[in-house]
Amino acid sequence: MATSHAHEGGCLCGALRYRFEGPPPRANLCHCHSCRLATGAPVVAFVDLAPGQFAWTKGKATYFASSPGVRRGFCNTCGTALTYEAQDMPNEVHVLSATLDDPSLFPPTEEFFAQECIPWVHVRLQAQEGQP
Amino acid sequence: MSARHEGGCLCGAVRYAIIEPAKFSSMCHCRSCQRATGGPASAFVGVERGQYEQLAGAPAIYVSSPGVRRGFCAACGTSLTYEGDGWPGEIHIYTATLDDPAAFPPTVHTYTADRIAWFEPDDGLPRLPGFGSDAG
Repeated sequence: MATSHAHEGGCLCGALRYRFEGPPPRANLCHCHSCRLATGAPVVAFVDLAPGQFAWTKGKATYFASSPGVRRGFCNTCGTALTYEAQDMPNEVHVLSATLDDPSLFPPTEEFFAQECIPWVHVRLQAQEGQP
Repeated sequence: MSARHEGGCLCGAVRYAIIEPAKFSSMCHCRSCQRATGGPASAFVGVERGQYEQLAGAPAIYVSSPGVRRGFCAACGTSLTYEGDGWPGEIHIYTATLDDPAAFPPTVHTYTADRIAWFEPDDGLPRLPGFGSDAG
């Protein structure tokens, strides 16, 4: 896989767009209550981008501080949740990977907050071909 | 008395209640729902409009396709509701925004033609490539 390939994504209405490049990010599923409510989805998926990898290319996100030191970026025109940032992971941007133009690119390899999983959510993590 | 279920957004500005019986409970894999929430799939509970009660605030509305109105919280972004001309008189609420989402297990997957390849539900439920007559 090319390591410098750029990836783009954005919200439902197109007011917000972003891009990132660099090494393939870590990808994970999160079942936590806060992520579920932030999106309205029963489980969410992230790609975790290192400092400097992520940039907005169009529009200005609205931020909601969902916990102390945590801010979640969303589009105030259409409601799409796009990003998660936390002070304990300075300058990282965690992107909701379903907002990528190709959301299939980064299969999650870890699950977080499984203890908060809605009982009817059953998702099988895919084996990663060609990954260590 | 019919069972009543409350829900709302992350920040609490928008709150609602729905009254049973629900018309359906489904999980939707369509691309529009993926983009609307930011999650890989969405789950919906559908009720008649008269079985939905606004308790606090009101969702902001985004018209995502002709005849489709998606409601979200303008303060925190939570996707909350879906109303479409294809389902007159109904409102579909995002199951994950209920205070007790476990109360409405989905019975079907819809729009699996758009399913993200790595998002593989392991629940044995039927899969419809598009939508059924009563699926969200």
